[in-house]
Amino acid sequence: MAIDYKRELETAAKSMILVHEPSTLIKMIARMIVHKVKVDHAGILLHDKERDTYVLTVSRGTTGLKIPAGFARMDADNPLIRFFRQHLDKKLFDDGAIIYENARKLLIRNIGPDAKELLKKAMYQMEIFKASVCIPSYFRDDLLGLLLLGSKGRGRKFSQGEIDFFIALASDVAMAIRNAQLFRDLELELQEKQSLFIHITIALAAAIDAKDHYTHGHTARVTALSLEIAKKLSDNNKKRFDDKFFELLHIASLLHDIGKIGVPESILNKEGPLNEEEKKKMQEHPVLGTAILQPIKELKDAILGVKYHHERYDGSGYPEGLEGKQIPLVAAIISAADSFDAMTTDRPYRSRLSKEEAIKEIQMESGKQFDPHVVNALIELYRENKI
Amino acid sequence: MPRLLIVDDEEDVREFAANFFRRRKIDVITASSGEEALDIVKQQKSDLVLLDIRMSGIDGIETLKCIKELDKNAKVIMITGRRPEEEASFNKCRELGAIDYIHKPLELDELEKMVLKELLN
Repeated sequence: MAIDYKRELETAAKSMILVHEPSTLIKMIARMIVHKVKVDHAGILLHDKERDTYVLTVSRGTTGLKIPAGFARMDADNPLIRFFRQHLDKKLFDDGAIIYENARKLLIRNIGPDAKELLKKAMYQMEIFKASVCIPSYFRDDLLGLLLLGSKGRGRKFSQGEIDFFIALASDVAMAIRNAQLFRDLELELQEKQSLFIHITIALAAAIDAKDHYTHGHTARVTALSLEIAKKLSDNNKKRFDDKFFELLHIASLLHDIGKIGVPESILNKEGPLNEEEKKKMQEHPVLGTAILQPIKELKDAILGVKYHHERYDGSGYPEGLEGKQIPLVAAIISAADSFDAMTTDRPYRSRLSKEEAIKEIQMESGKQFDPHVVNALIELYRENKI
Repeated sequence: MPRLLIVDDEEDVREFAANFFRRRKIDVITASSGEEALDIVKQQKSDLVLLDIRMSGIDGIETLKCIKELDKNAKVIMITGRRPEEEASFNKCRELGAIDYIHKPLELDELEKMVLKELLN
């Protein structure tokens, strides 16, 4: 029964759009070739960029004929690989595929001694793999892989239609592999950028800590606690918070005190309570921080956490006196974490409270200074020994 | 006809390699485990053994040791995956008297040359 190759190709193309994982895709293609064209075995060698070698990654067909996946490789100096990398395929064969039978006929023609020698050796590689057809898969000039096909049953030959079908498949595969690689590269790059961003943020946060001697490590602790509280709130919530919220909170808590850069060190490090004027100066830090971060458009939402982390639930906080649900959740979380850390660390004018005492104090301020939901999450964390 | 014993617990590898060397006029016997290999070695002599290191049951190194105890002149080539933790086993194989080893994925013509050199000389 004749196969409608055009239709098969269309089916293959559709699968390629659906399947993004190249290895799955290649397996599907090898299976399709063996089933539809009835080849005794089919193998696909893929380029391993790092080692510059081609590894037989997928293999299908009769046991004893098919070469087990991962068993064989062809290095860059393998004659078959050299043959394609030197583009002899395009010179000697119109369509680029080596069909063993046709290649043998070429050997008695005058194709030049070097080409003949390399073709002979390449054909020997095909013999080793019991391949009667070898089809290259290129992306631009790069040889990405090779498709090796055994023979059809009862010594039948491949038709030109079949060869064209394989060539079209091979080039589609190259495209799919290339796309998958590009996609992976992009993802990697994105991850690197994100990590760079977080690290720069951490460096900025360290700059504040360095200035404020008494609060050493404060930023890191507030960040960790804020994220714990958010996790708890998310678990208790009907709908979990998305990754974006956590990212936002991470950045905001790292930067919540950045405005202290603009507060004189004499105030930050004063041993003893602040007078009214000094207090006023100190209370400017959320707004100063906001001004520093304002030009970074990407931080628009995180800035809310910086700006409002000294607001109070009852509306008596600063800088704007927001109350209740007007206070962004990021800011409400940082506020509780910030206070908890301040209470549980030594300050020049008072010694620290135990965690239990601090929790009690925060509980008393629930609904006054702090958002009751946040307080509950903090208490739960304390009871579970997580803080 | 020279005789080659192929020991590998993966059927596809065993069958492919057997087929490959039979086409090169070699008498091939296969064993799917170290235990089976030792039974064969006790019964008949092979001119060369291709032995996979990683096998369930007794592994290639243990099998090599036993083969050498049964026949100290046995010629054995080890086959192994390219994993760093197996680097140490190479030295062990050398000490135990393996004549060579080859990494998977391997170049088939390299395997061919290595085996034919031992069998046809």
